Amino acid sequence: MQQAGDVSAVTFSSGDGHTLFGTLHSPAGAREDLPVVVLLSPGVKMRVGPGRLYVPLTDALVAMGYRVFRFDFYGLGDSTGELQETLLADVYNNIEVGRYVTDTRSAIQWLRENTHAKKFILGGLCGGAITALLTAEREPDVEGLLSLGMTVTLASNAATPAKYLTRAQLDSRRQGYYRRLLQPRSWWRLLTFQSEYAVIWRSMKRLVVKEKPAAQTPAAATAEQRGNANPLFPPAFFAFLKRGGRALMLFSEKDRLQSEYEEKFAAPFADQLRPYLPQLQQHIVAEANHVLSFTPWQKEMVAVSCSWLQSLHGAK
Amino acid sequence: MIRSLQLQFSNRVTETPFFFARQDARLFGLLHLPEGAAKPLAFLMSHPFGEEKLWSHRVFVSCARALAARGHAVLRFDYFGAGDSSGMSAEASLDTHRKDLQAALAELQRRVPEIEQIGLIGLRLGATFAALLCESNARQPISPALRDAPLVLWDPILDGDAYFQELLRSNLSTQLAVYGKVVDNREVLTARIRAGGSVNVDGYEIGKALLESCGVSTLLTTETKHHTGPALVVQIAATEAQKERADLKALASSYRQGMLARAAEQPFWREIKPFYPRASQLQELTLRWLDEVTGAAPAESVGAAASGR
Repeated sequence: MQQAGDVSAVTFSSGDGHTLFGTLHSPAGAREDLPVVVLLSPGVKMRVGPGRLYVPLTDALVAMGYRVFRFDFYGLGDSTGELQETLLADVYNNIEVGRYVTDTRSAIQWLRENTHAKKFILGGLCGGAITALLTAEREPDVEGLLSLGMTVTLASNAATPAKYLTRAQLDSRRQGYYRRLLQPRSWWRLLTFQSEYAVIWRSMKRLVVKEKPAAQTPAAATAEQRGNANPLFPPAFFAFLKRGGRALMLFSEKDRLQSEYEEKFAAPFADQLRPYLPQLQQHIVAEANHVLSFTPWQKEMVAVSCSWLQSLHGAK
Repeated sequence: MIRSLQLQFSNRVTETPFFFARQDARLFGLLHLPEGAAKPLAFLMSHPFGEEKLWSHRVFVSCARALAARGHAVLRFDYFGAGDSSGMSAEASLDTHRKDLQAALAELQRRVPEIEQIGLIGLRLGATFAALLCESNARQPISPALRDAPLVLWDPILDGDAYFQELLRSNLSTQLAVYGKVVDNREVLTARIRAGGSVNVDGYEIGKALLESCGVSTLLTTETKHHTGPALVVQIAATEAQKERADLKALASSYRQGMLARAAEQPFWREIKPFYPRASQLQELTLRWLDEVTGAAPAESVGAAASGR
């Protein structure tokens, strides 16, 4: 599949002195009035995204007239630098608290200097989405967020999953347990202390005990009170919305991120969120998994993203 | 228009990302060049298929930087339908991979004309493609730079049919996770591909051309090889206690100068709990073996390296 227009392999320096590698995709007739779309890597995968998710999205946006930029954060992909963590969950956790904001701001600055871009749309899946938001909080030229699965929690609490699962996740787990009732291997795990007993208990308890909806967590809440909610998310999101930022909040139906967003942010902060709802477009891709693996899900994500951008800028 | 930018990575190595053409495809490459004149022996790295490439990417980067720091030019590139290269995996085949490797070879020689030999380093299916190219070159010369050059095969895939059936399991896992059941089993998925459709594995469509050309049990045989250069086959297993694989032993023995080594590493080409920026034992034993076969340094037993001593 040949891509029209120009594609450049570039390097630039981050604010921390690392050399970052990226690709700039420009349509043949780039519209200078359109913002540049910067797609941010989630997790530890390189700039094309898991399953090359960002490739069809880039192609579609370029066809609409947008310039699209993808790059690798320091310590990942082709970029320089080394990460010191030994566990993936810890890498994710540090991304979720803003490790790559500096790199993203450096990318924005490079684009200002080399493409004369004035406005930006930041987008990405999961870790890319939260990096986009935390950067947008500091960069007033970011006018939109293209969120393909916003994470509002911290990954390092994966060590104690029972404690922080949402109601939807617990219900899903319970259905899974029912399906495995006739599997001897599952009983073996249960009887040999390999099962997640706390998760089983909490998922079954929901059948008989009605849980109260999560209350809004005070800003001064302790770590124990906030659970695994990312304390940086609410203030960053409201700051972005308050200055007029617009966001596509796309989620995958079978992804925990959707239920976490609803139960750990949208519900407890419903009153504060209400005035800003016109700035948000929410879309759920039915049956999709976390990384939108299957082609129909990817196509839907691309179509919704393009439609949202068209509503912003009237691009064809 | 295709542009590239050269950047000084450090005082010792320069890294240049660029795009190059292969017929009507656009391939991404990244050249690691040592300071000053590069050694006559350069390396071309061949990545694994699908999402295995993304998970193992940083291990490749670390190894390329280590080789470049030792004075070798190293080219990493993305196959058609992978990474930043053009195309989709559904359009790939054994033939496209072979052509990509040949194009990458030519590009490396064009950019670093002083090199005399190019060794191939591959992982998983990428190792298989590297081995097959060397065999083709031995029978009908493609590039004189490959002749007698070192060949490094990290956990090569011999039985393509078993490999692709294993890949299809990932599709089944996705079905189970999202539908709560397997809607289409492996037989149905395989039939769909053979009928001209495609099946998604972790975001990559597997099409008929790829399955028919690579999904065969005799993809890489243990018959006597014609490649005359030294060949290192590395069995990667999580523990050193894992039994030696007979098929990899036979593969190593099929080369005139073949050797089997074992590296204790996690399967870093898949999602695992540890963060894996480099495969230290695998990298070290590979570098030591290269030193041995090129006479670059006093020989220290690769067996010792393989066991981490």
